[in-house]
Amino acid sequence: MLHDVIPQEAAAPDAPAKPRGRAIVVTSGKGGVGKTTTTANVGAALAAAGASVVLVDADVGLRNLDIVMGLEARVRHHVLDVLENKATLDEALVTDKRVPQLKLLAAAQTREKDDVDTAAFRALIDSLRSRFDYVLIDCPAGIEMGFANAIVGADEAIVVCTPEVSAVRDADRVVGLLGDTRKVHLIVNRLRPELVRKGKMLSVEDVNAILRLPLLGIIADAPDVIVSTNKGEPVALDAASPVGSAYRAIAERISGARTDAPAIPRERSFFDKLFGSR
Amino acid sequence: MAARRIVVTSGKGGVGKTTTTANVGAALAQRGHRVVLVDADIGLRNLDLVLGVEKRIVFDLVEVVEGRCQLRQALIKDKRIENLAILPAAQTRDKTAVSELQFADVVTQLGELCDYVLIDCPAGIEHGFRNAIAGATEAVVVTTPEVSAIRDADRVIGKLRERGLSLRVIVNRIRPEMVRSGDMLSVDDVTDILSAELLGIVPDDAEIIDTTNRGEPVVLNVESRLAAIYTKIARRLEGEVVPFTALNPPGFFERIFGKAG
Repeated sequence: MLHDVIPQEAAAPDAPAKPRGRAIVVTSGKGGVGKTTTTANVGAALAAAGASVVLVDADVGLRNLDIVMGLEARVRHHVLDVLENKATLDEALVTDKRVPQLKLLAAAQTREKDDVDTAAFRALIDSLRSRFDYVLIDCPAGIEMGFANAIVGADEAIVVCTPEVSAVRDADRVVGLLGDTRKVHLIVNRLRPELVRKGKMLSVEDVNAILRLPLLGIIADAPDVIVSTNKGEPVALDAASPVGSAYRAIAERISGARTDAPAIPRERSFFDKLFGSR
Repeated sequence: MAARRIVVTSGKGGVGKTTTTANVGAALAQRGHRVVLVDADIGLRNLDLVLGVEKRIVFDLVEVVEGRCQLRQALIKDKRIENLAILPAAQTRDKTAVSELQFADVVTQLGELCDYVLIDCPAGIEHGFRNAIAGATEAVVVTTPEVSAIRDADRVIGKLRERGLSLRVIVNRIRPEMVRSGDMLSVDDVTDILSAELLGIVPDDAEIIDTTNRGEPVVLNVESRLAAIYTKIARRLEGEVVPFTALNPPGFFERIFGKAG
C-alpha cells in the first residue's frame, strides 16, 4: 500500500545517503493551548532558517493548520488520500506561499480519525523523514485515536502548555503517555508576565515544577498572534514582532544553533498599552 | 417534569467548554434549580479543578457504569452553592471505557434526580464526543471569534443537527476593541456563519484565568461583570427573553490602568 509513498530518490542507487529528518509531534492533551499555532510558527521559523520542513495536520475531521498557514484554498488532497493511494505524496504536499522549502500535508476534513490506519500513518511519517529535515506533526486535542496516530511516527515531542492548572494537569498526563523513548520538550504558551507578577497566573517555574521538562521557549500572550492566525500569516516570519522572535529562538534551540535558556517575555509597558503596540 | 439534559460542546479545544459548564451550571443552581454537572472528558478531566472539588473525588463516572458504586455515591455536592453537584470523569481510564448507551443511561438516571444535567464534552469529535451527546436532548455550542474555532464549531453543529439536537451558541472571549479595529470577527459574523441562535456573549477577561486556577466559579463573585453575564445566560436557558448587553471597548483609563478589558 505504501509503494507510492516511498520517495523516488530513496530508491535511486547513486543518490547520496541523506540523513533522516527529525519527526517531532506537537501535543498538549488540552485543546486550544496553541498546538497548531506552535506547529505553524516553529515550522515556518525552521524553514526560514534554511531547513526543509513538512507540517502534517493529524487532526482528521477538525483540521485547522491549513487556515493558520493561509493555505486552505490550495489544499487539493489530504493525508487520507495519500494513505489510500488516491493521490501521490507530491500531489498532496502544498508549498508555502512565503517559504518554498516549507510544505503542508493537510488532514481530511470530512472523515473520522478512526479512518486512519496507524501502521500506514507511521510508514508515511517515516517516508517523509527521508525527504525533509523536519517533520512536524500537529496533534489533535485529547488522548484518543487521533493522539495515538499523531505520536506513533514521532521520536521527539514538543508539549505545549499554558500557565493554567487544567492545561498543566492534561500536559502531565500526556507526558506519561508519550513514554520514555521520546525526547520531550516544553513550550510555555500565552504567558502574561503582569498577571504572574500579581500572583494571578502560574509562573513558568510553577508549570515546570510539575512537568519537569527541558524548556524550549516561552511565548507571551499577545494580540498579534490572534491577528496573524486569522490572517493566515505565521508571526514567526514577522521580523519586527517580539513573539515572532521568540518562535525563531525556539527553532534555533531545536536545530542546536543556540543553547541559551529561554527568556521570560518582557512585560507590556505603559506606552505599549497606551498606544496599543505589541 | 423531565430534566433538561444539555451538552456543552465546541469541536475545538480550549474555547471554554469547562468554564462555561461550571459557570452556567452554578448560575442555574443559584437561581434555585437542582443541577448536576457531568464531566465527559474521561482521561483528561478538568471540571473538578474548575469547581475546586478535585480533592473530594472518591468515585467517578466509569465506576458508576461498571457498577462499582451507586450513582449517588459518585456525586460531589458543591459546598458553596446549594443544589449543585458534579459527577467527575475517571482520570486514568480512556474514553472507550464507557459506551454511548451506558453514558446515555447515566444521564437519564441523573435526570431523575435534578432539573438540569449539563454535560461537559471533551474536545474533538471522537468517541468521547459521541458519548457526551448520547444522552443529551439539547446542546450549547461554545466558540471563540477565531476562524479555526468557528470551522470546528460548524462541523460539530452539523453532527448535532444530524442527531436532531436543538442548539444555541455562546460566543466566548470576545475582545470588543479588536472587533472594532477589524482584527477580530464580530458576534454577528460568527452567528451568520454558523446560522445558529445566540445564547450568550462572554468577553475575554483575565479574571476567568485566576478564578479557574483557584477552583472558584466566577459567578460566586457577585461584583463581577462575568457573573452577571452567566446569570443572563442561565435566564435565557430557562426561556426568558433577555436582551444582549452591548460590550464596549475598554476606555482610555482602563487601558492605562489595566482594568479588565
